[in-house]
Amino acid sequence: MLDFQRYQAEFTAHLRNPAAHQKPKNVPNARMAVYRELVFNNFLASVSACFPVCISVLGVRKWRVLVRNFMLQHASSTPIFREIPQQFLAFLTTQDCPDYLKQLAHYEWAELEAAGSSAIVNTHKQALQTHSTIRLNPTALLLSYDYAVHQISKKNLPKKTEPTFLLVYRNTDFEVKFIALSPATFALLTLIQTQDLTASPSKLQNLTVLPSQFQNLTVLKCLKLFAEQIGQPLKVIEQFGLEILQDLAKQQAVFQ
Amino acid sequence: MSTLADIQGVGLGLKRELIPQIQSAYQNSTQHSDENLSISNINFVEIAPENWLGAGGKYARDLAWFVERYPIACHGLCLSLGGADPLNIQFIQQVKAFLAQHKIPLYTEHLSYCSDAYNGQSGYLYDLLPIPFTEEAVKYVANRIRQTQDILGQQIAVENASFYVAAPIASMTEIEFLNAVLVEADCLLHLDINNIYVNSVNFGFNPHEFLRKIPKDKIVYSHVAGHLQVSNNLLVDTHGQNVIDPVWALLQEAYALFGIFPTLLERDTNIPPLPELMLEVDKIASLQAPYKNLKAA
Repeated sequence: MLDFQRYQAEFTAHLRNPAAHQKPKNVPNARMAVYRELVFNNFLASVSACFPVCISVLGVRKWRVLVRNFMLQHASSTPIFREIPQQFLAFLTTQDCPDYLKQLAHYEWAELEAAGSSAIVNTHKQALQTHSTIRLNPTALLLSYDYAVHQISKKNLPKKTEPTFLLVYRNTDFEVKFIALSPATFALLTLIQTQDLTASPSKLQNLTVLPSQFQNLTVLKCLKLFAEQIGQPLKVIEQFGLEILQDLAKQQAVFQ
Repeated sequence: MSTLADIQGVGLGLKRELIPQIQSAYQNSTQHSDENLSISNINFVEIAPENWLGAGGKYARDLAWFVERYPIACHGLCLSLGGADPLNIQFIQQVKAFLAQHKIPLYTEHLSYCSDAYNGQSGYLYDLLPIPFTEEAVKYVANRIRQTQDILGQQIAVENASFYVAAPIASMTEIEFLNAVLVEADCLLHLDINNIYVNSVNFGFNPHEFLRKIPKDKIVYSHVAGHLQVSNNLLVDTHGQNVIDPVWALLQEAYALFGIFPTLLERDTNIPPLPELMLEVDKIASLQAPYKNLKAA
């Protein structure tokens, strides 16, 4: 290690964890304090903007401790500011805190992810019919949790687990929408998403509009597959399934 | 296609809060409305790639709006030219693609570092930390600048950074370090006028002498900003206040010494409404006016 790098290592170790690492020799404490404050406040601001409910549930004091631990335990590997909350999520999985908090944090992050997704949202105006093609909104995150994360607040902490299925996506007005799903609708949308990914593996790497030749999953085919999956005849679910998908299409959660 | 020559005059840092205000003032100016806020002195805008890379949705829509209407300069925060961990090659390649995609001719970075190898792992600290001014550091940083320029296929400009702690191991002054890096790396200079002033107070040197040692031919771009006065001998470079008179005077002196160069008003915190910022943008334009025929390199 070069001399100046040894000094830098002391410098940043102290900034990350002042309690465990002394500041470099012969530097004024008052000046180091400026950096201690700047660096911590940067971390705090970069992470906090994404997780307002977590902060209110946990309380500001405990939240600050968590962010401090993030600074000293996690090597954040992204230079992109928008991706810092995702780094924090990875760190959070290693922490000894309630599962509901980890899942709530993930749910709060989903909003950021849908808002900034580079996928392009285009809609069709025509009403969805059985012969229509169908795909999930390309910004959508299909989420399942053990807790009703969308109902958690400081005054409403979960007392028990409650399987919860949510869809988070961005509409054409650039608004992020949240829909609570029944287990059946969640399964149906999972099927659509899986078909989508199977049809176009490139979507996994590059979230853009699917080439039209891959947009071949029709509502009818989708409902048939779903009927098979749950071991029911198509006619039992066809009408109901179509109505659900039409309703989701109106909300821009699914597209033709 | 914007070229480096399109980045000229005065610019404004593109903060999300300002976007709707700039858009509305721009639309009004094209409609010849009577109650115009003139933003004609905004000649270009500046963005941080770390804020915009890969962002879709309304961010992508807004960026496209500006790309269509203004030359854009990229001013990075996380390249970590002085960092102990390896350069983030993937990030530099992303920046390269971003510059190409949005036809951005200029990429500048700080002469500082923002990452380390704590516990043996590369990690970002997301703040601008001071590189010790030593010969070894000159070689190390210059090498990383060259590596960056090789990947990008273009020169970058490095900015004289503000700092608060002088390294006891330093063997050179800041201006010696800056000049040595510029020569060794064959890169361009992004001159931050406020940082000269901030450092001159924090470390008790003469800002005018510093300015006179700046290599005129290397200047392609500059910043001016406000700072926070914590005490008589400590200024923090917050970009959260108005530009103070001694900094304006230093900018004027720089134009007189070197001719004009593109100058951007930085305002990152405590952001006032656009009309108030335009007073400072207009002031830069008025300081440039007398030197219009005396361009720097």
